[in-house]
Amino acid sequence: MVNSLTCLLKNKVTEEDIVRDDEIEHLGREIRREIDAVFGRSLAIRELDTGSDNAAEIEINNLSNPYYDVERFGITFVASPRHADVLIVTGAVTQNMVIAARNTYDAMPSPKFVVAVGDDACTGGIFKGTYAVLGGADRIFPVDMKIPGNPPTPREILAGLLALMKTAGKTR
Amino acid sequence: MAEETLMEMESVQDLIGSAGLAAKIVPGPNDEYYLTVGEPAFDPLVTTLASRKCVLIGLFCTEGFSPDARFSLLYVFEKKNIVLILVRNSDGTATSVARIFPSASWFERECRDGFGIRFDGAFDERRLFLHETYPDGFHPLRKDVRNIPVTMRSTIDVVGEYPFRSVSGNGVYQVAVGPVHAGIIEPGHFRFSVIGEKIFNLEIRMFYKHRGIEKLAEGKTPQEVVRIAEAVSGDESVANATACCRAVEAIAQMTVPERAHYLRTILLELERIGSHLGDQGGMLVDVGFPLGASQFAVLREEVFRMNASLTGSRFLRGMVDVGGLSRDIPKRQLDELGEFIRELKNRYRIGLKIVLSTSSVLDRFSPTGVIRRSLLRPLNITGPMARASGGRVDVRINHPYGLYDRYPPTMKTLNDGDVLSRFTVKASEFLDSLDLIERLLADIPEGGVRTIPEIKDGYALSLVESPRGQDLCWVWIRNGTIERYKVRTASFCNWQAIEHAVQGEIVPDFPLINKSLNLSYAGTDL
Repeated sequence: MVNSLTCLLKNKVTEEDIVRDDEIEHLGREIRREIDAVFGRSLAIRELDTGSDNAAEIEINNLSNPYYDVERFGITFVASPRHADVLIVTGAVTQNMVIAARNTYDAMPSPKFVVAVGDDACTGGIFKGTYAVLGGADRIFPVDMKIPGNPPTPREILAGLLALMKTAGKTR
Repeated sequence: MAEETLMEMESVQDLIGSAGLAAKIVPGPNDEYYLTVGEPAFDPLVTTLASRKCVLIGLFCTEGFSPDARFSLLYVFEKKNIVLILVRNSDGTATSVARIFPSASWFERECRDGFGIRFDGAFDERRLFLHETYPDGFHPLRKDVRNIPVTMRSTIDVVGEYPFRSVSGNGVYQVAVGPVHAGIIEPGHFRFSVIGEKIFNLEIRMFYKHRGIEKLAEGKTPQEVVRIAEAVSGDESVANATACCRAVEAIAQMTVPERAHYLRTILLELERIGSHLGDQGGMLVDVGFPLGASQFAVLREEVFRMNASLTGSRFLRGMVDVGGLSRDIPKRQLDELGEFIRELKNRYRIGLKIVLSTSSVLDRFSPTGVIRRSLLRPLNITGPMARASGGRVDVRINHPYGLYDRYPPTMKTLNDGDVLSRFTVKASEFLDSLDLIERLLADIPEGGVRTIPEIKDGYALSLVESPRGQDLCWVWIRNGTIERYKVRTASFCNWQAIEHAVQGEIVPDFPLINKSLNLSYAGTDL
């Protein structure tokens, strides 16, 4: 039988944090510092897939799992490009996605930053030159940072974002 | 011919009924059978196959395959453990079979876009993977079309509009979603016709990510195409690479070392557990149960890290290669994997128990997004979603490849076909895969992992059970390079079930239903 008393007395299901990755903690603290200084405490990212093989999306999603949990460093993934500071682009830009990709970019308020994540987004990767692909993200809009990899790991993506913060801080 | 092959040959001959045609059946290198059918015999034969409950699992076009005509259409039929390919030559037109085999509708549209084949009597003649911005009369898979970008400009103007099926009536309105979605998801367009909150009709539009994979593979060496196969869909890298390698190996009748078979099977199952974990976590995120979702997300991250330590890639890429594996995994690491799997099993059970004893989760999971069993055969629905609707389909059991005849997985089926059934089927398959990996680790022999591949010309079909279901691939090698690489992932067929699964459901349940079906956009769009 469940009543308020049993709820009070039964063992709690919360437990101590068993996932802790010191390298990520260190990287995260540095990112936190940069975001606080440059972006006024929060960095809003919108993800745009222009033709990836879905591995890069999986890794970007993984940034929110308890091992990384990047929200505590001030990084949030937002639903609308209108709320975003940074556009993360994954995948080579396909003919079928060009218009939607451009609309997404145009919908973002300035100043805005574009980060290409993965080999395909950086250069077009193995798809460069096919009939269906225009090339890397920089074919259709300016790209501020490229994070190569097939796909890059969550740690590499975080390191890339940190590098972006640092350059953004300098050019302010 | 071995006795087994003879027996199978007889059952294929029985299947087509006509003795005259039966004599012309030719066995292929990978347990598939080919039959070239002339135009007068074709339509009656298709009707016979339909009445014998065959499933059309693939239909694709290829050029220069037969000396008799420019194009050849290959219809791949499956009946239990038999795979029969009808070869139908065509100079550019053919009759449609979509009214008999609904799964043919997308296949035919694909052939029309790629090769310009006209299907008489087709009920849907809209373009499929070539959106409006592609010029008219452009058929990229024809041999005389060079593989260069259609557009050299960096912007493209909007031209025309895709004609969605219109649904009208009192109170019906449309909700257009995508291609760019609110979350971190791949692009696709969903056109809902809604009455109040209830979904009256859904039409999906895909292929935003069409990258031209099949054309890209042409003229490449088989080894290069394995890397392309890995890029078909990131979380099915091993499955698609294995399917491609198995076709190339079957053509040359290569013997893959025993140890490579074991390691490949372990990698295939590791890919499956990673996918199922991600999927189950995603379903829990979509019902707002982060406690459960985080449990699965933590385990999945650990699987990814294990993948990286075993192979150097979190997606197990770069391992599967023609002739076996590109490198061995040392015993010490396999021992670590065994330890990891044992621990994973216990921790997974804890997470699963929390989820399945939470009423708010069960409330959302059941009875949501039902896929009726009667849809499975007409649309060629496969994988966990078919098994959750009572379908006894699993390539590992129906057409065992590699080691699966010696290490058969248990067929896990449920009958309700809702989100809860899919979640539960995936949970039992997950545990089954862990058992399988443990058995493989216990028996794995020493030895080499790769035979030096000797590429021969020819063609072969290969089927592999990816985490999402049946992945089909057909490889034709000519002069040592790929002449045609056809790949059809499970998602290509499975996507079409979503239009049925959401009818009568409310719009807010759509993300949950979509997640529970675990469909790959990249694997469909190619």
